[in-house]
Order: sequence, then structure tokens, then C-alpha cells
Amino acid sequence: MRVGVLGIGKTPHKIQHSKSLRDLIVEAGRGAIADAGVSPSDIQMLYVGNVGSVGFNYENSTGLMAAHHLGVVPAGAVRVEAACGTGAWALHLGVVAIASGLYDTVMVVGAEKMNDLATVEATSIIAQAADSKEEYFSGLTFPSGVALTARKYMQIYGLTEEDLAHTSVKNHHYGARNPYAHLRFECTVEEVMRSAKVADPLKLFEVCPMTDASSALVLCREEILRDQPDKPQIYITASQMATGTWYAATDTLEDAYRLFNEPATRAYAMAGVTADDIDVAEIYNSFAIQEPLGIEGLGFAEPGEGWKGAADGSTWIDGKVAVNLSGGLLCKGHPLGATGATQAVDIIEQLRGTAPEGIQAQDPEIGITACRGGPGAVGAIHIYQRIEGE
Amino acid sequence: MTVSAIEFSRLGPPKLRLYGMRCSSCGGISPWWEKFHCYKCGNDKLTEVYLDGRGTLTNYTVVYYPPRDFLGQEPYVVGHITMDEDVLMPAPVVDTALEDVQVGTRVKATLRRMKLGHEGDIYYSQKFVVDPEAAA
Repeated sequence: MRVGVLGIGKTPHKIQHSKSLRDLIVEAGRGAIADAGVSPSDIQMLYVGNVGSVGFNYENSTGLMAAHHLGVVPAGAVRVEAACGTGAWALHLGVVAIASGLYDTVMVVGAEKMNDLATVEATSIIAQAADSKEEYFSGLTFPSGVALTARKYMQIYGLTEEDLAHTSVKNHHYGARNPYAHLRFECTVEEVMRSAKVADPLKLFEVCPMTDASSALVLCREEILRDQPDKPQIYITASQMATGTWYAATDTLEDAYRLFNEPATRAYAMAGVTADDIDVAEIYNSFAIQEPLGIEGLGFAEPGEGWKGAADGSTWIDGKVAVNLSGGLLCKGHPLGATGATQAVDIIEQLRGTAPEGIQAQDPEIGITACRGGPGAVGAIHIYQRIEGE
Repeated sequence: MTVSAIEFSRLGPPKLRLYGMRCSSCGGISPWWEKFHCYKCGNDKLTEVYLDGRGTLTNYTVVYYPPRDFLGQEPYVVGHITMDEDVLMPAPVVDTALEDVQVGTRVKATLRRMKLGHEGDIYYSQKFVVDPEAAA
């Protein structure tokens, strides 16, 4: 399977009090349409990934609202939701729509406007992406649920908080160089350790901020892109989804591994590549511990060793596989429904060679995105390849 | 996170009395929310079984930024307690200094005020304290 990436667009990722959800969607969407060189009337289907407009913004039917303001009416449009995996799920549906042969050109948008509410309200809304009726009645939040995973990982593999802090150092090194990132500062292991406690053992520099942003892609049939050789020849060659555990209480490290490993194994087979072939990866890390878990799930390191790459350089820009050159969610922030789409846009920029100075890898050809959601409930893998001269 | 009073009338029982769901096939006990099938073997015949209320703290976190309903309680400990019946329960651990909370501590359940709803309504549920018998 090859689905062409005709255009990409994204907004800055930051707190944007002057912009509404629809402003963000139109900014990213128009960017992708312009980059694709099409007009809105060419879009035959629109998938809008958005987690919580009902709670964050008191508005619903985001897909239909976006269709109107992007000017794609009468194309079909729908809102997609799968916790923090939402943007990746919108992308999956876009890929499936093209691969099925039903459509020639479709649009995928991910968007979230989180900062209209106070943190305490937003935290409560985010917690609805887990079982807020039962398990989270105990006072758990998303950071604290993941903190339990971090402690489990440290206990089982005999690691210290300092060992895990290297992941934040690496992400912030690159986030500081990404003009689209929310947090743009570098930090040391000592500064990570000194940052405020959020949910022990997770500290502030190991937790993503709440961010307003949107990202968008225009996808097309392979032939349409192939017939425009002047455009960057980037294709999505695998799209695989999975579900996992819905409860932190019963989520084991093996479950966390399977959440990515199972769909990644399917994705590698689908694209005809192996983990060793991957040059650049964007791996979900709304909390730092999720990056080593993702590195292990994708097969870049053995279980218990995914944290080492940030410490020894093997997941830095010149390493065996460059992980989160965008600064990851730790620096870009995690605009819930946008995140999966932003990961895709960031990898596509890498393959096009248009990533910002300081975070552009040396001529990468194959990239992967791994997005997850819920306590351990959603796994989403996409593989992207630059395929020229055929 | 928020529940209405009407909803709590449905959710209440498992929060006021500590119980799990015993599988008629493998005999394993799942957390109370597994009403529909056994988490361990998938069998769909389960019966409620009351738990004795004692267990061991096997994991914990300290919440510094709580959801709205828990405002004012922070920082507070949420633990994973492996009950003596071999089922894991997530619950706050209270009446203990943060620095004294340790994996391996024996704890017992106690009915406490859990949180406040929007209208000032009070929700009760099971919290855990250090088991005085084990500590003695």
C-alpha cells in the first residue's frame, strides 16, 4: 500500500488565547491545502481528530464545523475520537479511505484547544479518557496513572529517577530548536530532578504542557502524487492500530510493550521494512517514561533498555535511530486530538528535508510515528517513506 | 471524574463495600468494575465476593495536581493495593506521612469521605490506612 502525502500544515504549538478551535483548524487546514496545491473543493472526505471540544470549548460536531469553515462542503466530514490516539486515528481513517479506492483526495485534521479552561478543569476532562467512573474515582489523574507505570519500570529494572531524566534532557535539547514547540529551553539531568513534583516520581520536566494547536494533511492516491514529480515523494506505507488495557490497575509493562509491538510488527510487515531500517521516529511521550516504553515496543531496544539511548546518544540526531527530533510531546505539548497528526507532519518534514535547522536529520528515507492513548488503551503506528525515481 | 448523585446511586455499592468479581471458571478475582467478563480468562460468569479489606501496598504515586473534586486534599497518595484475596485495588492511602509510604507496607481498608461533588454533596468510598495490627 502507498498513500501519497500531497500536503501538510500545522499551527505553532503553544497557548493561544487569541485563537479559537476553529481558527486553529482553518490555519492548519489551509496550510495543508495550499501545500498540496489543491482547492477545498478537491477534498472528498474530511476526518477531524478532536478529543474534547464538548468539555474544553462547549461545542460539539467539530467535524461538521470544520467542513463549513474549511470550505469543503459538500464533502463528507466526521469527528474522530480515541483518547490521545485521536489524531493518529484520523490519519488511519484517511489512509484507509484512499487505500480502499473510494476517494482520490482526502483531508485529515487534528486539533485541540485546551487553554480556555483552568488547569484543574482541563485535568478533569482529560481524566475522562480513562475510566473516570470507577478507577479514577480513587483520585487518580493521567499523570498519576502514568507515574505508577514509571515506578513499576524503575522497580523491575532497578533504575533511578536520574536514569529516566535523560529522556527529558534529549527532548528539550531538540525542542529548544523547534520554533513550533511550546516549551523551548534546554535542561540538564539536575534541572529535571529539581523541577516541581507533579505525580511522584514524575516531575514537571517529565510532563507535557497543555497546548492549543492543529495539524493537517492532504492525502491522495499514489498515482496522483507520482504524476507530480516536482513534489516531495513521501508515501505512507503502513497504518496499523491496536487496543490495550483500559485500566492502570491491570496494566503491566508487558501490556505496555504489546500496545506498540503488536501493531508495529504488523506495520513493518505491511511496509516491508524492519525496525533497523527506520531513520527517524516520533514516539508519543506526554510523560517521559512513555518514550523508553515506546522505543522498546517498536523494537529499537530490548525491554528495560529503552531509556539508555537518551543517555548514550543512540536515539539522538546522529544515533542509530533519531527519536523525537521535534522535542516530542514534552516540548511541543500535547494538544490531544492534534498530536497524532503533528507527529505525522513532523516526520514528513524530516523526509522532505524541510525540518528546522538543528533538528533536521541527515537525509532520512524511512520514518515511523507511534501514538498511544488512554491508560494503555490505544496503539497507533504509521510508517512513511520517501520513494523517488521509480 | 464527576458523578451526579443519581449516578452515584448506581456506582455506590462497590465504593461503600469493598468487593471484587470472582470468576466461576478460573476462580480468579477481578476488580469490581469487571462486571462483564473475567479479566484473567474471559469467562462471563462472575459473582460478587466481599473482600476482607487487608492487603499490601505494591505501588503508589503522590498526586500534587488533583482533579476538581479532590481539590484541597493534595498532596495525597494513591496506591495500588494487592488485596490478600489476590486482586489489585487502586485507592488513596491516608493518615500516613508521605515519606513513610513504602512499597510492601501492610494496609487495611476504611470507609472515608472521598470527595466533594459540584453541589457540595459528599461521596464516601474506601481508603486505606497502615494496618495497625501488622505495624505492631
